[in-house]
Amino acid sequence: MAIVSLRGVTKSFRIPSVRRETVREHVFGLLNPRRFEELRVLDGVDLDVRAGETLGIMGRNGSGKSTLLKLVSGIYQPDRGTVRIAAAVTPVLELGVGWNPDLNAVDNIFLIGSVMGLSLAEIRSSIEEILAFADLERFANLELRHYSSGMAARLAYSVAFKAVREILVLDEIFAVGDAGFRARCHQRYRELSAAGHTVILVSHEPYTIATFCHRAVLLEGGRIAMDDGPERVSEAYLRLLGGTAPAVPAPAVPAPAVPAPA
Amino acid sequence: MIAFPLTTVTPPARPRPALAHSAGLVWTLVRTDFKVRYHGTVAGFLWALLKPFTMFAVLMGVFSFVFASDPHYKINLIVALFLWDFFAEATKVGLTSLYAKAYLLTKARFPSWILVVASTSNAVITLCVFSGVIVTFLALSGRPPSLGALGWFVVYLAQYFLMVVGFSLATSVLFLRYRDLNQVWEVVSQAGFFVAPIIYPLEILPERFHFYLYLWPPTAVIQFSRMVLVDGVVPSARAHLFLLGVTAVMLAAGVLIFKRHAPRAAEYL
Repeated sequence: MAIVSLRGVTKSFRIPSVRRETVREHVFGLLNPRRFEELRVLDGVDLDVRAGETLGIMGRNGSGKSTLLKLVSGIYQPDRGTVRIAAAVTPVLELGVGWNPDLNAVDNIFLIGSVMGLSLAEIRSSIEEILAFADLERFANLELRHYSSGMAARLAYSVAFKAVREILVLDEIFAVGDAGFRARCHQRYRELSAAGHTVILVSHEPYTIATFCHRAVLLEGGRIAMDDGPERVSEAYLRLLGGTAPAVPAPAVPAPAVPAPA
Repeated sequence: MIAFPLTTVTPPARPRPALAHSAGLVWTLVRTDFKVRYHGTVAGFLWALLKPFTMFAVLMGVFSFVFASDPHYKINLIVALFLWDFFAEATKVGLTSLYAKAYLLTKARFPSWILVVASTSNAVITLCVFSGVIVTFLALSGRPPSLGALGWFVVYLAQYFLMVVGFSLATSVLFLRYRDLNQVWEVVSQAGFFVAPIIYPLEILPERFHFYLYLWPPTAVIQFSRMVLVDGVVPSARAHLFLLGVTAVMLAAGVLIFKRHAPRAAEYL
């Protein structure tokens, strides 16, 4: 049974010819109607993800990948169609989960952890683990405004990996940190997948898609242009970019077995 | 082999009960807001109390001469001032509450009304401290309010809080579309300080205007609180029904507007 199910999902953004963001502009603009240009980002997307499956999403910039992830995460609502999610989603979007710069790492972990659904007791007992995973124990009491973007992103992944309850949604996974941190992410990711978590990840890296995914889709112009094995989708993506296929390096580990439908 | 500090991997779990999750989130938001605002110290909090107390000292210095014939003027002034301070502060923060927490709203799904309600926490803490101070002051000056009066006062405060929540729910989502709403509200709020009978007794105005002044929500709360705490008189059932009606309308309007606009809030950030 599908744990994530999208049917005919369409999402557009209305881009006004003149942007009005204030009461004053709306009042003075009453006699001057605006024209809107409709930017259709997703156009009738049907997609099912089974429990325990890892789905990779590839596509060029502007093809609708991030919008699709935000719809699955419940942050955006579809204009048409249905998004049915049968379990809790933990999203890691746009290279981090957002921080309060005036708070130190520990308080930010409490804030983000509780937004992501961890109980206070769970957060308290995993603070050290989260900081250790991000290699930031020494900076636990430093306010986030003093963190580098790499440090903040490492902390974001670390909290999300701890907070994941069922479905993990990752945008541009493993794009941050040094080789050591990326290796820890890979290992943690494999453990989560082996424990039966469902993962949806967006990546431009054919290697990442081929190594970690059971299945992949290629988004083009807001539609699903291809739904196939990760290596075939990676090749199609490279062809789309004008590269020469096949350019997918052999996976370092055997491709994961596709879970049986529940 | 890479040294790997994580030892536990949780298997997929059902989401926890919404209430337990919400309580933890509210507590964390309240605690971190307090920490950011007052640097986590009691001294910082006491420093913040200086503002309304200074205001009180200045207004009392000027207007106690104007209204020298009113023996309750000072206590009426301070009751009204701290009630007003709560309204002004909580609505100001509530209006921008979703915008201020955009970094949470765009990155995860959770009940966003919690951000709005928790945003009023600092104002609520100040209100509670002030209420304690006022009641203690009344007791020390030989006019302790009766238990019944305190009960009514708590009921008024609860309704006042719900009005502010209703206002904040509505304006927090509207602010995302109308980014000068905070400036508009600042002007309204400034005028509202004089509409509410804070520095003057309501009785000095002709009675035919009273109804219109009562349409401004703080007026009823201020007047009724003064009546039970200072005068020891309980307002009529009709007056209580009016206050209940205002509270219900504000809360219902807030919830409806919020439910309509909140699902798309992240798209306006």
